[in-house]
Amino acid sequence: MLLTMNLLDEDAGLMLRYRDGDAAAFSTLYAEYKGPLYRYLLRHVRNAGAAADLFQEVWSRLVAARARYEPRAKFATFLFHIAHNCAMDFFRRDVNLRGEIPAQDLDSPPLEPEVPEYQRPDRLAEFVEQQSALLAAVAALPPEQREAFLLREETGLSIEEIARVTNVPVETAKSRLRYAIRKLKKSLSPLQEPEALPLRTYARQPYA
Amino acid sequence: MPDKRVPDELDEYLRGASALSHQYQRESAPLPPHALDRWVQNAARLQPLKAPRRSQSLAPLAFAASVLLSVALVLAMVFGPPAAKKRADDKPQVLQVRMYRTVPPRAAVTSPRERNPAAWLEDISALRHAGRNSEADIEMRRFRSAYPDYLIPNSE
Repeated sequence: MLLTMNLLDEDAGLMLRYRDGDAAAFSTLYAEYKGPLYRYLLRHVRNAGAAADLFQEVWSRLVAARARYEPRAKFATFLFHIAHNCAMDFFRRDVNLRGEIPAQDLDSPPLEPEVPEYQRPDRLAEFVEQQSALLAAVAALPPEQREAFLLREETGLSIEEIARVTNVPVETAKSRLRYAIRKLKKSLSPLQEPEALPLRTYARQPYA
Repeated sequence: MPDKRVPDELDEYLRGASALSHQYQRESAPLPPHALDRWVQNAARLQPLKAPRRSQSLAPLAFAASVLLSVALVLAMVFGPPAAKKRADDKPQVLQVRMYRTVPPRAAVTSPRERNPAAWLEDISALRHAGRNSEADIEMRRFRSAYPDYLIPNSE
């Protein structure tokens, strides 16, 4: 099964080549994932400066761990698991963030936290103002729901893979994503009925 | 493989046919600043390209060292330091009495048999000179039990 996974995931193959000394393989991986990773971090932590710091940290950890890399999952799962851990470390670094941990009941309103520096109203308002209505709604989601949505949109990972990235059971990941899309639909103007849109594919997308 | 238990709303979203997803994909797609690109690329290049040799491991060497050390410790415990040889004549040895201000140190041994007899006798003499005769008697009985054939000078 591992061999099959390796054959199907070209990016895992690139990472193996980088592990074995092929610098060009890293460049290819970086070109493909820098956009999704940056947007995931930017829209998750909602602060450009913090996102840049975390971006560096994620790649640093990947480079440092490359000698031990074994393709046990998709490369995207591996990369964004690192990103998730970095984001969690970032959130924990601010003790005021403890209040942002959502209650057990997903339907209950979030607790009122003491505001951390990067979430000061003026900073957050500045960030939100620059966003479209949809992205502002994404920014307003509870962090776990926001993360599930961003992971799905930026990487195309399945719910099982999202659960693996975020270290939660599959049903929890499913619930988070379900609540996220429900809240986003409610906060936006009625969306048009989708036409016969082609199935989403998350193969290599060239980013400008 | 789709999970048939997934609600339609989520199922539609996961199929990629959701207008929500379509709208998100039309949003701007910011990229990291070029400075970040350069930083990451440099960091990846600065790492030594040669992967660590997997065959090298210090584990066997560490294991061998631990085995040798264990054997040496066992041998030391079993045989102990060399015992003092019996003198050919019967003349009492001139003991160098060590005056202890506190209780004489006892060797950390697991059994009386492993204690050096000469040093043991010196300790007993020191106890007597310190006036601690009851302790000296106890130690002498232990000495006799451990070294029944040891020739003790008449001074003891």
